Amino acid sequence: MLPAILKILVIDELRSRAGEICAGLALAGHQVVAVLAGSSDLSGEVSRIRPDIILIDTEAPSRDTLEHLAIMERDMPRPVLIFARESDNETIRSAIRAGVAAYVVDGLEPGRLKPVIEVAVARFEAHQALKLELLEATKKLSDRKLIDRAKGILMKSRDLDEDAAYAALRRLAMDRSQPLAATAKDVVDMARLLL
Amino acid sequence: MDSRDFSLADDIASHGRRKVLRHSIAPGGKAPSHISGLAPAGGAWVAGSDAPEKKELRIGFIPLTDCASVVMAAVNGFDRQYGVKIVPSREASWASVRDKLVSGELDAAHVLYGLIYGLELGIGGPKKDMAVLMTLNNNGQGISLASQLRERGVTDGPGLKKLVAASPQGTYTFAQTFPTGTHAMWLYYWLAANGIDPLRDVRSIVVPPPQMIANCRVGAMHGFCVGEPWNQRGIADHVSFSVASSQDIWADHPEKVLGTTADWVAKHPNTARALTAAVLEASRWIDASPGNKQKTAESIAEQAFVNTDTEVIVGRMLGRYQDGLGKSWEDSKPMRFFNDGAVNFPYLSDAMWFLTQHKRWGLLKTDPDYLAVARKVNRIDIYRQAAEAAGVALPESDMRTSQLMDGIVWDGREPKKYAAGFKIRA
Repeated sequence: MLPAILKILVIDELRSRAGEICAGLALAGHQVVAVLAGSSDLSGEVSRIRPDIILIDTEAPSRDTLEHLAIMERDMPRPVLIFARESDNETIRSAIRAGVAAYVVDGLEPGRLKPVIEVAVARFEAHQALKLELLEATKKLSDRKLIDRAKGILMKSRDLDEDAAYAALRRLAMDRSQPLAATAKDVVDMARLLL
Repeated sequence: MDSRDFSLADDIASHGRRKVLRHSIAPGGKAPSHISGLAPAGGAWVAGSDAPEKKELRIGFIPLTDCASVVMAAVNGFDRQYGVKIVPSREASWASVRDKLVSGELDAAHVLYGLIYGLELGIGGPKKDMAVLMTLNNNGQGISLASQLRERGVTDGPGLKKLVAASPQGTYTFAQTFPTGTHAMWLYYWLAANGIDPLRDVRSIVVPPPQMIANCRVGAMHGFCVGEPWNQRGIADHVSFSVASSQDIWADHPEKVLGTTADWVAKHPNTARALTAAVLEASRWIDASPGNKQKTAESIAEQAFVNTDTEVIVGRMLGRYQDGLGKSWEDSKPMRFFNDGAVNFPYLSDAMWFLTQHKRWGLLKTDPDYLAVARKVNRIDIYRQAAEAAGVALPESDMRTSQLMDGIVWDGREPKKYAAGFKIRA
């Protein structure tokens, strides 16, 4: 028999996201524990907590730790996965799209899993939007670095000053109708090969 | 070059593959004893109908040295020679590789041999019909012990046995990388061969490879089994030392495979062949010279792939081993990707070995039909076509004979008896 109140474990590398998911689930009346995935004894903590449901980022390396517990210990939660026959299960599909992996103890009714996953999915999606913004910003930064390096290479190899090197790079990009960063990358790659 | 090579070359030319056929026999001129000549070319496919059904292929890999042939097939353009484009996709966990193979998000993956069979038989989770296209590498994994054990006088298996026997059960913790995977099996086999029961005497946990050294440093475990470069990294960081390489447990053991689902192969037979041939070409290229290995190490050391120093990767790739206790040696059985095709043939006996160990350790409750399962999953038919296309020698038999560290011989016969014959088991 499963207890009336589900014990949910949230494992996450992002402290802020873990906190938000936990808060959302606690508001819905669940008993929630968060563990940071970097924990040095994840196996031990999961064994001690004995959750009914585990929620974790699909891309978290620590998932393999859970797989081991699922196989080696009978009463540990097992992975929930999409199969052909369950492909109409919209809850699980949305979880996978959002990047939430769930591990569930045997015998848990799907109806009890659904609201839990819905909370997690909503929080994950909010964070995903933030992550994309961050990614975009990082990419811009690394583009600038590439352009600087390509400029440096041109200045050295063609004895140009900085403005002339930038102009040369821009002309090259325009001739090849490529973004400036892509041309810069080619220059850097080429230099690595030839110089 | 003997006449069979010519006939194959003609056959390939007649199919419009204008590539130089590299000699597939060892430089000494004599084929290794377990490799016979090439199979007759009669089984070749019909020209015109052999175009890959799918051109761009997402191939998953975990950042480990043995992802090299998949990565280099893309980096060096061997994929394009066969009309496909490999897009290597770095994955964070074996669980994620499994999910993405099952869901079709990945076309195929660099994956643990045992994981494919665990999935085929539904061990502890989903069950899905799977396929092994080829073996990617032999050797090159290892068992390390935490430096703190050295301080307590343990430097080898017998020493560890003494220490473990002197403490209550479960005092010592050992990590591997996936419950049905290869490292679990090497670790369990090595512990058991040293008289330590891996299921009762010690506690076993799973830690992702890139986190292994950090976890060992903080004392989360006393030893671990993992693929390179992480054993070498543990030595470089003074966190752990090597107590056995996986080739000490089983010389030329099978390790990672190119795996996918049975459905995927059924839908994309030509693509499966092209992909296998491209990775075979990369395997041959990597093993061809130390220079190529150096270049491979540089490529896979880059951020996108393994994310560690080239030096840490390349030493053991070239067979330059040190154990972190002061001993260094040239290993005659380092990680190999090709070895004239002997590495890559998906031997049925190799596949069955993992099943026998799954049974031995209670992951399988009953004996499966070992041979039937191996025959179904290991796609020797696809492999043969790919090997012919790439001019790679084929062995005489679908089985091979190996002697493991405890002297026990495994030849693929009587798997049920073999699985039940170990003194220490579940």
